[in-house]
Amino acid sequence: MEHRRTKAAIWAWTLFVLVAIYLPIVCGALASFNKSRYFGFPIRTYATEWWQKTLDSIEIGMIVKTSISIALLVTVFSVVIATFGALAFARYEWKGRKLYQKLILLPIFFPQPVLGLAMLLGFNAVGIQTSWMTAVFAHMVWIVPVVTLIIAIQVYGFDASLEEAAYDLGCSRIQVFREVTLPLLWPGIWSGMLFAFLLSWSNFPLSLYTTGADSTIPEWLYAKMVAGYTPMVPALGTMATLGAAALLLAGGLVGILARRRAAA
Amino acid sequence: MLLTSPAALPDPASPPKPILQLVGLRKSFGGFDAVQGIDLDVREGEFLTIVGPSGSGKTTLLRMLAGMDTPSEGNITLHGELINDVPPNRRPTCLVFQSLALFPHKSVGENIAFPLKVKGVDAAARKARALELMRVVRLPESYFDKNVMKCSGGERQRVALARALAYDPEVLFFDEPLSAIDYKLKKTLEKELKDLHRETGKTFIYITHSLEEAMVMSDRIGVMRAGRLVQVGTPEEIYGAPVDRFVCEFVGEVNTFQVKRGPDGAWNGTDVPGTFTLQPPASGAVLDEAFVVVRPEFMRILAPGESADNRLEGVVYNEYSLGSRIQYQVRVGAKVMLVELSRGRALPSSADRRVTLGWDAADAFTLES
Repeated sequence: MEHRRTKAAIWAWTLFVLVAIYLPIVCGALASFNKSRYFGFPIRTYATEWWQKTLDSIEIGMIVKTSISIALLVTVFSVVIATFGALAFARYEWKGRKLYQKLILLPIFFPQPVLGLAMLLGFNAVGIQTSWMTAVFAHMVWIVPVVTLIIAIQVYGFDASLEEAAYDLGCSRIQVFREVTLPLLWPGIWSGMLFAFLLSWSNFPLSLYTTGADSTIPEWLYAKMVAGYTPMVPALGTMATLGAAALLLAGGLVGILARRRAAA
Repeated sequence: MLLTSPAALPDPASPPKPILQLVGLRKSFGGFDAVQGIDLDVREGEFLTIVGPSGSGKTTLLRMLAGMDTPSEGNITLHGELINDVPPNRRPTCLVFQSLALFPHKSVGENIAFPLKVKGVDAAARKARALELMRVVRLPESYFDKNVMKCSGGERQRVALARALAYDPEVLFFDEPLSAIDYKLKKTLEKELKDLHRETGKTFIYITHSLEEAMVMSDRIGVMRAGRLVQVGTPEEIYGAPVDRFVCEFVGEVNTFQVKRGPDGAWNGTDVPGTFTLQPPASGAVLDEAFVVVRPEFMRILAPGESADNRLEGVVYNEYSLGSRIQYQVRVGAKVMLVELSRGRALPSSADRRVTLGWDAADAFTLES
């Protein structure tokens, strides 16, 4: 009965991992439905009033708008820079490429709170007033390398002679990029976009130092946890999580549909 | 007598004018000289195959002709115009890649119509031309919307060919496109390619490491070794009058031995016993030592009383079936000679049989050793 025991062990482990990952999120969601103002289990009365209050709050509206603005700008800029960066990373042979491949990895390994502090000091030194726009830059310092690596994997995966063939068949350099390079890199660019948005959306340490007077969702959650807790904190946290999950789901769906169309 | 029909041979009296001329062409990568000085006139409308072992520089040569590499030295002219620095998209030439380089995100039809799309031809005309080309390369019309990655190896070859033809180039280059194809299909595609060459009248330059492939298709063959063209000639010339040992051995398995001129002027074997009657070397050089090459298919096993210009005594120790022919390995002293006989002339029992090998002087080559 060795086999049955192994199977049971696998199931138990899987269950444990799932609980460890999702129980905290469920707790957060439950806390947001507490009628009482104070955090605590068991919950005596359930209510949706804190969700309503969160949705009605002008302050939270502004914060969500700031978070979305930062994430969208980071996504657009990162993907453009990272696409060309990935081609330099994985396609072309050039002097200094090895060094570039290593240097681009460094920001990923650098502790983010230190990176955030360093950038705040840097902005002050050159006299730039920090706001949500400086946070866009700060996020990109960390996110562009990540997206570059994601797209570089896609670049490694396609045959360079496809570009040569297109060039040989009469394409200009721009036509080669539009007709061959871009469509073939698209799956990588698409996952890069999702990553860029989600990494920016959930970033706390870089935002903390570099948004100045503006505030993002993670910053607001932290500030309210430290002082002035209401169930709006778990409510907004749950909304942010659901938003990210919806984006991922939609992203995955687009990917599947695109693959279906390509396979037809 | 051999391999190529007379119709495919260029008329030596009025050789067609060269379409491509290569003069002193060289290419170095860092310290490595991949191509070391090539002079060649490519005739308009011919099927020229460059053949050579891997690393002989044939792909580099082709890439320079297609515009993907720039020569380090020397000139390439097309219709008398220097094209060294003309990029591939401005050359009336097209390369069929070894990998075929079909666009995986486009259908069969979109792949074939691609060069027309780039030229700005409208969609309806593109489709019509693509379907026409699909007929030329024998692809069914229903394949137009098929995913190109779902096509078989042979079908992909045809798509790549049709796409190249859609570009309507004056010269088509082929970089070993048949190397990954199984034998039987390869034979079919070789013949189709030759037919296509005749039908289109375009100049084809093909590179391969397989001389067999080259022999079947080409009007002329250039044999390349270590960045140089060793010999350029018709398949007959390459087969029947190889300029050196390399070309000779490249063409197929051969019997070789050394000879030395004796005091009386006769050729005596150095590594086989006997005195031999030889043709003077094709180069016209006067030699004291030479290297003799006899192809296995010209070596005979003599019946008692049968005559031949040259003979060797030996013992059969192995035989192999080559399908329509049988190859015997015959030990002559320390050397092994190969004899190929058609199945009808096979020896009744071969093992350890003493035989007399014979060949006529006209069937052997004398080369500088």
